[in-house]
Amino acid sequence: MLKAIILIVAVAVALGVYFSLSLYVFPQLYQSIEARRPQAIVTDVSLSAPDIALGQALTISVTGTNNGDDADMQIVSVGFPNLTTTDNIKILKHNFDQTPMLIAPPGELSSSGYSDTDSSVLAQYTSIEVFSRPWEAGKTYSADIEVIPKTEGRFVVFIKSVALPHTWEQAHYPQDGTLDQQKEFVETYSVEVTKP
Amino acid sequence: MNYFRYQEYLEVYGLSRKLFAGYVLVSLGMLLAAAGGSWDITNHLLNKPETFFAPPHAVLYSGVASAVVGTVLVFSGSRSGDGATGKMIWPVKLVIAGVVMLISAAPVDFGWHSAFGLDGLLSPPHFVLVSGMIIGSAGALAGFAQSAKRLPSVLIVIAILPIWLGASGMIDMFSLPFSESEYFNFNPHPTLGVAVATLAFPFLISACLIGSSVLAGKRFGVLSMAGGAFIIIGVLTSIIPNSALTPTIPFYISSIIPIVAADVLLAFSRSRFSLYAAGTIVSLAFFMLYYPLITYTYNEVFESKVVWPSMIAQIYFEMIQNVFPLVAIPTAAMGILGALLIDRLARNKKYYNNIQELA
Repeated sequence: MLKAIILIVAVAVALGVYFSLSLYVFPQLYQSIEARRPQAIVTDVSLSAPDIALGQALTISVTGTNNGDDADMQIVSVGFPNLTTTDNIKILKHNFDQTPMLIAPPGELSSSGYSDTDSSVLAQYTSIEVFSRPWEAGKTYSADIEVIPKTEGRFVVFIKSVALPHTWEQAHYPQDGTLDQQKEFVETYSVEVTKP
Repeated sequence: MNYFRYQEYLEVYGLSRKLFAGYVLVSLGMLLAAAGGSWDITNHLLNKPETFFAPPHAVLYSGVASAVVGTVLVFSGSRSGDGATGKMIWPVKLVIAGVVMLISAAPVDFGWHSAFGLDGLLSPPHFVLVSGMIIGSAGALAGFAQSAKRLPSVLIVIAILPIWLGASGMIDMFSLPFSESEYFNFNPHPTLGVAVATLAFPFLISACLIGSSVLAGKRFGVLSMAGGAFIIIGVLTSIIPNSALTPTIPFYISSIIPIVAADVLLAFSRSRFSLYAAGTIVSLAFFMLYYPLITYTYNEVFESKVVWPSMIAQIYFEMIQNVFPLVAIPTAAMGILGALLIDRLARNKKYYNNIQELA
């Protein structure tokens, strides 16, 4: 009988310790650890010419880096608000880990407003997402993209970079400016497309 | 001298050398294949560069090779007639069927990739592959169990683990939201996924751990060894590869506490109540034992966040206090059911052995 009581008490104490650790101590401990803070930056953007003739190609070179902690994923997005197709866009070269994605209407962009929940939106214009998954701290990637504008006038290019998970303000670049179709800040570049 | 050792060897295992070696190789092979598969899933989640020569694939295919060699030995041993051949027929059939399924899944998987590109966790070839793992491992365990009244501890652990890991993989297929591809969406409805995980994992843990103890005649240590080995495999294949999770290793390892407690209970009390209590205790640890992957299943219902690999721990520990009280009762019920199943199987085996002895 005594043996049985000792056994029951020992098992009960062990389980009490275990569930206290698992349900209270460890959760509090691990939730107090700060999430990683990746810092997305676009370090260089260059356009091949300030103005081009209609039918000529424009080359955009873009370089991004992560100056913070490791990111699970970081995207450099190049948007073309004057375009709704992808047939006149070519990726000349890149050193990102994954294959770049071309998104044109009515395609779906997987997130908006730097949200950490599913907040996909439908694309209103064409964009290219070049990304590395994961994007380690300090790593730099670049891509050269060729595009042929389809109409005369001002041809606009939106550029941004977002590190995911988006744990703090510096996880996106730029910090302010124009809001794009995903309600996220972009840097704006443009060239003048003239008659040939 | 060697001759006498050989005789002792036969008496202990009741099997020919070929059959014994074959079953061991099949179990070890399936164990390696299942562990390699688990590691591969983690690497896919982390998007680590994927080539055929990736380390998880090396482990997985070494396991398949070992299982194939083991099956050849089992087949040849079963035909030579120097084992207890009358009893061996159906375990041998299970081993052969399992390994044939395992091998045949490879070309089907290649065809599936060629036709549909990237696949998800649940696909017809993956289903055949994991079914093969479970059937082959069950055959090897049945081969051991039928041939001896009491098996050595290490052998029990080696034979139980691949069944446990294979069946866990099968439950993962029907509960994790990893099965949406360009052409198919085999993801379970989030609520169904949670229901499958909540009912199936506790049952499986209870059946495997109580089963290992019963196979060992409820001697202390075997249940703890099986649980400890499961935890080590989880640490090596699901936690260490994701550097963001390494601080949570102490949490994961702490699940050895209820496992040892159940082992103590079974070793020192032979009552049926202890059996069910042990089943309940180990099953209640299911939400911790299936960390970190289980985060994806329950997040779909409880948090609806994007589960980035570096955020798994954050989301899991946000959920645990809400999820555990909700699942505790069904979990305990399934743990008791798992123990009941093992109790029934053990009684049947005892009855069968008694008939054999009388005959």
